[in-house]
Amino acid sequence: MGTKNIRVAVDIGGTFTDLQVLDLDSGTVHDFKSPSTPHDPSEGLITALNGAATRFDFALSDITMLLHGSTIATNAVLERKLPEGALLTTAGFTDVLEIGRHMRHNVYALKAESRSLLIPRQRRFGITERIRASGEIETPLDAGAVRTIGERLVGEGVSTVAIAFLHAYRNPSHEQQAADILAQVSGLSISTSHEVSPEIREFERISTTVLNALLKPVISGYLERLAQRLSDAGVSAQLYLVQSNGGVALPDDAARLPVKLLLSGPAGGAMAMARLAREHNLLNMVGIDMGGTSSDVSVVTGGQVDETGEGTIDGLPVRLPMIEIRTIGAGGGSIAHVVTDALRVGPKSAGSMPGPACYGRGGSEPTVTDANLLLGRIDAESFLGGEMQLDKQASGGAIKSLSEELRLSQDDAARGIVDVANASMANAVRLSLFEKGSDPADYVLAPFGGAGGLHACAIAEELDIDRVLFPATASTLSAGGILTSDLRHDLSHSELFLLDGDAAGPLNQIVRDLHAQASKMLDVDNVTAEQRQIKFSADCRYRGQAYEIVTSWPQLNEAPHVDATAIDALKEAFHRLHLTRYAHSAPDEPVEIVTIRAIAIGLLGRAEVAADAPATSSREVETRSRQINLRDGWRDTAVRHRDTLGSEPIDGPVLIEEAYSSLLIEAGWAIRAVGDGCLMAVRQRENAA
Amino acid sequence: MTKVDAVKQEVIRNALIAGAEEMNVSIWRTARSTVVRETLDYSTALFDGAGRAVAQSTRIPIHLNSMSVCLEDIIAGPIPIDQWNDGDVILTNDPYSGGQHLPDFVAFKPIFSDGRRIAISAAIVHHVDVGGGAPGSYYAKATEVYQEGLRIPPLKLVDGGRTNDAVIAMIRRNSREPDKIGGDVHAQLACLDVGAAAIGRISTRYGNDVLETAMAAILDQSEAMMRVTLSALPDGTYNFRDFVDDDGQEAVDLQVVASVKIAGDTCVVDLSESADQAPGPVNCTLNMSKSAVYCALLSLADGTVMANSGAYRPIDVICRSGSIANCQSPAPVANRMATGHRIVTTVLGALAPAAPDRVPAAYYGVSYVLALQAPDPLVEGEARVYFEVEVGGWGGHPEQDGADGFSCGFHNLANSPLEMCEVLFPITFTEYGLIAGSGGDGEHRGGLGLAREWRLNADWGTVSGSFERFRHGPYGLAGGEDGRPGRFVHVSESGTTELPSKISGVRLASGDRIRLETSGGGGWGDPGNRPADARRQDEDAGYTT
Repeated sequence: MGTKNIRVAVDIGGTFTDLQVLDLDSGTVHDFKSPSTPHDPSEGLITALNGAATRFDFALSDITMLLHGSTIATNAVLERKLPEGALLTTAGFTDVLEIGRHMRHNVYALKAESRSLLIPRQRRFGITERIRASGEIETPLDAGAVRTIGERLVGEGVSTVAIAFLHAYRNPSHEQQAADILAQVSGLSISTSHEVSPEIREFERISTTVLNALLKPVISGYLERLAQRLSDAGVSAQLYLVQSNGGVALPDDAARLPVKLLLSGPAGGAMAMARLAREHNLLNMVGIDMGGTSSDVSVVTGGQVDETGEGTIDGLPVRLPMIEIRTIGAGGGSIAHVVTDALRVGPKSAGSMPGPACYGRGGSEPTVTDANLLLGRIDAESFLGGEMQLDKQASGGAIKSLSEELRLSQDDAARGIVDVANASMANAVRLSLFEKGSDPADYVLAPFGGAGGLHACAIAEELDIDRVLFPATASTLSAGGILTSDLRHDLSHSELFLLDGDAAGPLNQIVRDLHAQASKMLDVDNVTAEQRQIKFSADCRYRGQAYEIVTSWPQLNEAPHVDATAIDALKEAFHRLHLTRYAHSAPDEPVEIVTIRAIAIGLLGRAEVAADAPATSSREVETRSRQINLRDGWRDTAVRHRDTLGSEPIDGPVLIEEAYSSLLIEAGWAIRAVGDGCLMAVRQRENAA
Repeated sequence: MTKVDAVKQEVIRNALIAGAEEMNVSIWRTARSTVVRETLDYSTALFDGAGRAVAQSTRIPIHLNSMSVCLEDIIAGPIPIDQWNDGDVILTNDPYSGGQHLPDFVAFKPIFSDGRRIAISAAIVHHVDVGGGAPGSYYAKATEVYQEGLRIPPLKLVDGGRTNDAVIAMIRRNSREPDKIGGDVHAQLACLDVGAAAIGRISTRYGNDVLETAMAAILDQSEAMMRVTLSALPDGTYNFRDFVDDDGQEAVDLQVVASVKIAGDTCVVDLSESADQAPGPVNCTLNMSKSAVYCALLSLADGTVMANSGAYRPIDVICRSGSIANCQSPAPVANRMATGHRIVTTVLGALAPAAPDRVPAAYYGVSYVLALQAPDPLVEGEARVYFEVEVGGWGGHPEQDGADGFSCGFHNLANSPLEMCEVLFPITFTEYGLIAGSGGDGEHRGGLGLAREWRLNADWGTVSGSFERFRHGPYGLAGGEDGRPGRFVHVSESGTTELPSKISGVRLASGDRIRLETSGGGGWGDPGNRPADARRQDEDAGYTT
């Protein structure tokens, strides 16, 4: 014991804590699942580590690296389990947080939709101070007012403060001064906007800073409890936290900037998509993680996961670089209902409580999962690896009134629910690709999550996609993505420049500063020179446009130096990108740069991973079959265990069973193993040669 | 007729909505001007082969419900539907041939399969400039539509697949921004093809008969749901009157009167008692008025009815010819939104007694469009135009207070980031916030209006505004008080000047300040019934004074 070198990735969800365990010496990976403990997720984590250690024969002290993904920050915001906070901002602008961008979602509504507001007006303080767009100080900071407010807040039980002044991204001095004063007079936890999101556009920066401030006590508290538990259990591994950008951060950084964890839930899945695409030499892949209430779509284009500069939580902007995820309101728990003779599925969902009718927890409305059960696509006995017995009769009862109202047989109603859900998922995927100027036909679809495998072929057909890749260990795939993460810091500098020769001087200084900051961060992280990467990009737009496109600037990655050649290369790249995204470019028009970005990466050393793929021959090839309702009605359909598939294609229809879920390969498709435990289904075109 | 089951029906409905959304994205991706790219002033829809709107993108109410009436006008007159051939695109911007105001181009493309017209894709786009007396074609002094820019009668911009380049050349020649309008016209044409492709996918998959039947059923569904909404209202005739402050030329109240007759599951809205058409450009054609009425009734259904031609079937809109709500050529119409918003608040006001549980007091009811022309801080010797559109407070609702500073009703817009404005234009903001006490008092108070104030840092600037509700505050309901009217203030060395609501060409000097205060919403219910708790909370937060 104590002789192995184990790396563990953990993805803590609401129901399960998923692990992938990599033995760095042998290169083998195992996956493990155990129940989560929502009241304190660190408890379930320790249980899972113990379980995995026993099953795969290692000691907790063998773990050298623990990569930790979770939705703790997300849940704290969604469930409003946040401390009392205050906001200090420029006098005259205390309502910016409340007004937001003032556009509504429900176009025809007489009753306004509710808008999230995390700090009430009483605790938003206007401070006399003003910095101009150029960074010049117009009005100095009223230090006395800051001190008075700080003293008052301590007395009022406020524990955390956001400081966000106009144009602080250009000149942070007032925020720094105010933070120093508050630190002197109180033990308040402080977040400043120039540190959290140093970019232009005040509402998004203030919102992100406020979220950071409110999450700080939550995440610090969690990390302290976790450290204690790990130490008690004898785990001395270095801990890393997964961020929304797909990279990881050390605990100190996560405690300081917890907002960077906020939308990290689906990041592991997206990272896994990138890894799959790389391993199977596929450039373009679209991943669908089909959950209970919703499905997350992530896209890999040209081998890179699509990123975005802003996400939202509960309607509040989170402005940070992050993996782009489109969430669709369709999942296994989506409820089917009738609206004037039409069958609708979702957006209402039974979630996991009460869940679909067949869960027997009190759900009485028919869901997509109930439909799959009635169609024989889910086996009542082996759901979630047999851990949960499903009640088919309850599903039948739930669908009864719907099928009567629509004058459909139970089978047709159930198939209808599945068809409608598939079509709406396909529409959402098509739209998210179309927005980037991409054609679904150029992509490979990869389903994961509980129910994805049953729907993938049908969704692919709707999208004219010919290949579906079924990843190995689909049920712990996110943890697998986390396993390949690297340390990552995002840095930025917002300042508007017309992109011409005159800009080279000032841009050069900015780029050097960013490079120096990035290097310093990697020093602190103890990243060696060989493990470092610093990548540059710039947010560009044509003069007059209001939105920018993040444009890679690879010329600077070798040497952080801006000259006329580098500027021309950036412009050229921007024109090309604009052409791809928006179908036109204007090479003669002036280009503006709004923000310069650097990404500092510390490689954590990728091990060659051999997936948990037993040899094909380890199982008898059974000749099982069962009645499954397919497109053309009930058919005796072959059922195979996933591990029995080889490189020889098997024609659909066939149902493939795996540990926690099943894959439905429709007629017209053929499936085979393609290495690393993955399966690939290929559509057999009628006219194909 | 082919039978279509509920499943195919729903799958096709979703595919049609997705098709309209794809058209939407296509315009956003390919357009050139900021009006289109940034303020998102465009909308898209798919129609059936007979010209009935079936599916629309989620966009701007004013646009969405206007395209079908426009198409009806075109096929009833200038270009009958049997002349719409494969490869054609029909275009117009003429308010007196079904259009809106001149910057809005409406384009339709019939889609054929097996020689049969199975659908029509349609898009309305606000183009940046079509000439006329002022940049952006918002000429406050216009007294005739001829002064507002280029008028394009319904014509085939594309005829049997051949684009009429002469028309595009003429459009470009008449615009202050020829490249942008040229680019945006092409974006508009391209999106029609995206719609055609979406229809093609459905028709290939399910066949034309199924598509046609499904579209008819979607219309029937919307009709049925609208009839359910109307049946729930007690029969009777409901009258209401609200006011437009003025037309920007004469300080005269312009009344908007709605007489709404509910009979069973139908509704007739008569706007005939409204003021005569005005000399200034605040007039609405009957089509614009219909769009406003549809918006009001769709919101009465609380967004549950899919907005399309089926939903309009049980609704009849009539109005005396020559009134402000049915203006006749050559009345100017550029600032039609002034009256359009008011028709929405008037129809809702009329129906308040019929649906007392749902109808709120009046929202601010105006698109606060402000424009500043001033030197460009980034490029010497050039001037730039700064545009902003603001909003105000919602009316108090039977169940809750009105929302503070939030888009409502006939439009739906985002504000511009202060920091970005300060980088791009020679201004420094001095305030952006809610106005305490501006919401009408009531059991449920009106939402608060906004104050937006800035200082000019350049040597010169000229400012224009198209506002409303400076004299007639948004009405309160059920005993609630009116919302506080808005104001527009110019502070200079020589003192403080209250400016009128509709003004252009106000000259500013360096250091001058401009302050816009928007209206709060009306209050709902007797102020005496407002719970003490709610009052205390408002006071603590400073929402009231």
